[in-house]
Amino acid sequence: MSEPGEANLKHLDEMTCLLYLERQLDRARGLEVSSHTQECESCRTLLRALERESRLLTRAMFEDNEPLPSRLAQFQEAARRPMQWIWGLAFGLAATGVYALYTTYIEPWQEQLQQAGFSGTNLLGLLIFQSPFWKGWQSMITLLEILALATLGGLGVMFLRRRIRRGSALALVFAGLCVAMAMPTPASATEFRKGDRITIGKDEVVHSDLYVASGQIRIGGTIEGDLVVAGGDVEVSGHVQGDMLSASGQVRMTGQVDGSIRGYAGNITIKGKVGRNVMTFGGDVNIDHDAAITGSVTTGSGRLSLDGHVGRDLLAFAGQSNLSGQIDGSVKIRGGELNIDSSAVIKGPVDFEGEREPQVSPQATLASPVHFVKRTRGPNYSNPHYYVWQVIWMAAFILFGLVLYSLMPKFSQEAVKSAEQYGAAAGLGVLVLFGVPIAAGIACITVVGLFIGVSTLFVWWASVYFAQVVVGTVVGQWLMGRTGEFWPVVGRMAVGVVIVRLCTTIPDVGGWVKFVAVLWGIGAISLAVFRRFQPVPATGVTVPPGAQPLPPNTTVGGPVPA
Amino acid sequence: MSAPGITEPTEAIARARAGDAEAWGELYREYAPAIFRFCRRAMPTREDAEDATMEIFMKLKGKLGQYDATRSFSAWLYKVAANHCWDILRRRKIRQDKETEDVESVPLEHPEPSQLERLIEQRSSEEVRKALEKMGPRARMALVMRYYSDMSYDEIADSLGVRRAFVGVVLLRARHELRQALEGNAALAAGGAS
Repeated sequence: MSEPGEANLKHLDEMTCLLYLERQLDRARGLEVSSHTQECESCRTLLRALERESRLLTRAMFEDNEPLPSRLAQFQEAARRPMQWIWGLAFGLAATGVYALYTTYIEPWQEQLQQAGFSGTNLLGLLIFQSPFWKGWQSMITLLEILALATLGGLGVMFLRRRIRRGSALALVFAGLCVAMAMPTPASATEFRKGDRITIGKDEVVHSDLYVASGQIRIGGTIEGDLVVAGGDVEVSGHVQGDMLSASGQVRMTGQVDGSIRGYAGNITIKGKVGRNVMTFGGDVNIDHDAAITGSVTTGSGRLSLDGHVGRDLLAFAGQSNLSGQIDGSVKIRGGELNIDSSAVIKGPVDFEGEREPQVSPQATLASPVHFVKRTRGPNYSNPHYYVWQVIWMAAFILFGLVLYSLMPKFSQEAVKSAEQYGAAAGLGVLVLFGVPIAAGIACITVVGLFIGVSTLFVWWASVYFAQVVVGTVVGQWLMGRTGEFWPVVGRMAVGVVIVRLCTTIPDVGGWVKFVAVLWGIGAISLAVFRRFQPVPATGVTVPPGAQPLPPNTTVGGPVPA
Repeated sequence: MSAPGITEPTEAIARARAGDAEAWGELYREYAPAIFRFCRRAMPTREDAEDATMEIFMKLKGKLGQYDATRSFSAWLYKVAANHCWDILRRRKIRQDKETEDVESVPLEHPEPSQLERLIEQRSSEEVRKALEKMGPRARMALVMRYYSDMSYDEIADSLGVRRAFVGVVLLRARHELRQALEGNAALAAGGAS
């Protein structure tokens, strides 16, 4: 291939020629190549051939200008159309749903709770936020305020992320919310005590809130603030001027609590005086003959025995309730059995919803006969409202799915794909369905983890609903075939969700269908999340041992002719 | 490095970043054909290219806030597209193609120039496109990134996850693979004798 006169030249290799053409050689090497090609016809031809090859490649790639496929053109139309109507619909229906839930569930409960002496607060605040941990901002946080804060935070993120990066915007907004939450009056001074056995002597006075954690706790003195106890065996015979909160195995209160008693105990006995209300959850709740509760009693227990005096109302969820004391307000009980003894005096109406007729002694003093409603298990198929609600739920699920597919199209499709891995999805579903609430519950126990725990529970709860949407989409795809386009996917999801929801209404089997759907779907969602967080392996070129890389700015070819 | 015939629609980009759906539509109409063509060359099938184009634009909505307005929008867009397509191909576990396996054996010889010239002169664009479809994903992706979207060696290295020093090797091997696909002549594809 060499021409006469070039025999003494060593030709450039192809790599050097390519890097020269692509301007990847350093200046010195480039000059050498340039100089060489002026003398060497063969290398000049090679350079020209490589350059033509580059041009051919570029031309081939740019020619054959295929028109945009109709599918992409439709996508373009969808991209051009604002999706505000979805949001309008979503918010409208969400507002209606919130109103329906509020009027159906929350308002009646609230009324009951207000009757029971818990006026001025709401259910969520009562169950979650009423404790000394939250005492400083108890008055601030109501359900509406939380929603308003969340909305404000969301709007803040949307506003800020247009100006700064998303992570920074989130950090800023959350920091702002934390500061806002920290602003209200902090809790008063607090004293902590822990040990195997803690005793507050009869003459001892604690001038602040007292937190005690111990196996055995004896409170004989005076606590000028709140008393918070966590222990195996607790006895309070002294005087607590604030509230008493307990999470203990066994509690006996024989002294005086000026505020309210709240908490959980395996066995709780109240023999003393309570200035305000009692709200307890436990195995056995005994309100002794000597007990005097100025306010109301709210309890959820296996067995309730009330022999003392309650100044206001009784609201109970109990397997067995025995009433032999005096209740100045109304009584509402849901549970298995109700016995009203001869010594009982109830000055308000008595409502009982249970499995058996209440046993009422003829000698008992009641303002009116007991209003009894027999509880039926499972849905009431003869009630038209049941079917109306089923339709509402189907519509809500489809709307929920539509919103999720609009907000997270890729993740939703990944979840659906993951659902087709039946074994992995089901296995992970078991783990997540049962494991996450347990983990969240454990997180909630610690003050620091409360926010994380409650947030996790909310996400888990939302996932339970999303799971049914995912399973609905899979069922829809089985029936109507796969597709990657938005509206056909939504159509399949709607058909599938209707089928799944219909299956869940089948007597006896429906519950299991729902359980399997949730298990399967939540597993698929978890699998999709898991894959998202999987690190992508690096795709570096495999370099055999000893192989030298070829730096583009250095000589790659053979030695340059002298 | 921009889609041919496209000037940067700075105003539409700014409005789309601020959440203007109409501006987003403008950007899509402007850039979707070029990105589809990119995907068409990089992905093995037309359906894959359509899917990838839609996914790239959906991804772009979320990423638009990260775009540095001082840089070329189309360059950035091609980078996003290249990363996305390569991610898809990589996930399909087809990343091991010839170039990566025998880096050490990259020919450093001087091929027969006249033979190469003849091959190139005799081939049409249509034949090159068909040959591209027969190539391995990495080789094809490298050629598309370099000769369609005019990406720099640094950008190609970043997208393919190889060291910059190997980009030239990958491109040369890709050319050899292309020649082999064009000619079916292994000797020519291997570089020939000096």
